[in-house]
Amino acid sequence: MAAQPLLEVRDLGKRFAARAGRDAPAWVIQGLSFSVNDGEFLTIIGPSGSGKTTLLNMIAQIDTASSGTVRFQSQSAPLNDPKSLNPGLSCQIGYVTQEDNLLPWRTTLQNVLFPLRVQGRLNDKTRAHAETLIRAVGLAGFESHFPHELSGGMRKRASLIRTLVYDPPVILMDEPFGALDAQTRAQLQEDLLRLWELGRKTIIFVTHDIAEAIALGDRTLVLSRAPARVAGEHAITIPRPRDIRGIMGHPEFGTLYQSIRAQVQ
Amino acid sequence: MSTTGSALDLAAEPASIKWRQYAVTIGRIALALALLAAWKIGADRAGPIYVADPVKVAQRIVEDMSSGALLRHIYVTLRLASIGFAIGCLFGVALPFVLRRLPRLTNAIEPYIMASVGIPKYALVPLFILWFGIDDAPKLWLVGLLVFYPIFIAVFAGVRNVDRRLINMARVAGASEAAISREVVWNSLLPFFFASLKIALPRAISAAIIGEFLVGNEGLGFLIENSRQNFDTTGVFMGVVVATALVLIINGLLVWLDRRFSAWRPTDRDMEL
Repeated sequence: MAAQPLLEVRDLGKRFAARAGRDAPAWVIQGLSFSVNDGEFLTIIGPSGSGKTTLLNMIAQIDTASSGTVRFQSQSAPLNDPKSLNPGLSCQIGYVTQEDNLLPWRTTLQNVLFPLRVQGRLNDKTRAHAETLIRAVGLAGFESHFPHELSGGMRKRASLIRTLVYDPPVILMDEPFGALDAQTRAQLQEDLLRLWELGRKTIIFVTHDIAEAIALGDRTLVLSRAPARVAGEHAITIPRPRDIRGIMGHPEFGTLYQSIRAQVQ
Repeated sequence: MSTTGSALDLAAEPASIKWRQYAVTIGRIALALALLAAWKIGADRAGPIYVADPVKVAQRIVEDMSSGALLRHIYVTLRLASIGFAIGCLFGVALPFVLRRLPRLTNAIEPYIMASVGIPKYALVPLFILWFGIDDAPKLWLVGLLVFYPIFIAVFAGVRNVDRRLINMARVAGASEAAISREVVWNSLLPFFFASLKIALPRAISAAIIGEFLVGNEGLGFLIENSRQNFDTTGVFMGVVVATALVLIINGLLVWLDRRFSAWRPTDRDMEL
């Protein structure tokens, strides 16, 4: 391997604290290892309940690991010590969560500008960038709507560009398009790929949809059932730019789909 | 009721809907007149020593307003209630924000705070007089304490109720703890805060009036108590009517403020007090 990986996960383990009346806590994740290179689009696929969200929470330093290491640019996350976590690693890791988590009392525009405002980076240039993104994902005209006045797909788009707007070098995405209809979903996947090819960020994209994992990623990791570990790894060599809607017709797609399908239990 | 629902009804049966709206207004006015009539009949039956004649009360309000005496009493009571309210409200809001950052201290002192809710505050007035004299201080303590508890309890519950996911989102996006308190926590608990104000604001007026019963020679409380001692039942009723009007005006302001601050709330935008 040429350079050191940007992000390295080694022997990662996680179990949650026991509660009264329950058995000893089971490991959600155990012995999980993988690494991510700079500029890579990594997709992670796994059955529901396999600790995918927990994994992203640990990478984003919202949650602590119970064992093992998560190293970002050769800096390790603290173990078992929630107080010394640095969520988002000083805005280097953006996180598009499964729920949109928009602030219900703020308008679309205010929500999108929120990271810039709290980082003290709100100026004419960043504001113009935000407005470009709003137009790029079709939210123009909805800037002053409150989240409850938007459709589910629009909320997703708003939460996506809220992360893109401050340009973190790494973005974690947790089934961001999970609850959407096929049409909106394909549209957003295309938007995402276009934005990614412009900026070439590092993306870790969690999904339970095999076709989505293949269509978007440079590489796909398959996680096992809990306790999660890597059950398979697939390089996806379908050339870019890719045609999302026609990807299923690509000759490589069928074999990839079959071998991933066999590993996802 | 949702606006779209009534708009649809309106298109379907405009006459009947309009009539129903009028019916509510007419009903309200009729009820008010009935209550006034009952008061008047009661006053005539019971005699002026026990129940004051509403007409005389109205006349007295006009007289004392124009002489300025009543305005002075209102000013004194409002001033006391406002300062006491401000103090109680400040502590009631600030303390939960401090405790949010100190979970262990919170766990340690929570049972004591909850136990202190049970102390009957009015029973403390003699002690306050003993400790703080007979100026504004004992009355301010009474108002402040009575305002503090409902606000503290509601804001404390609100702080605990904040969506963790929003806090995590804000942290990842680079928000400082102060920015999270201001943006996420404060906005999340506004509905709790306004709910507690609906209890605390009328209480501030009541507490000020009771404080004035006991200490001082001005204010609505003094007016009521002094009138009673002089067998001036009309004066007592005037004090009660004016105090009620004050509370209603304050509640009206509160409803207006609540609406302004919670325009984003999808469901209870049309709710009233």
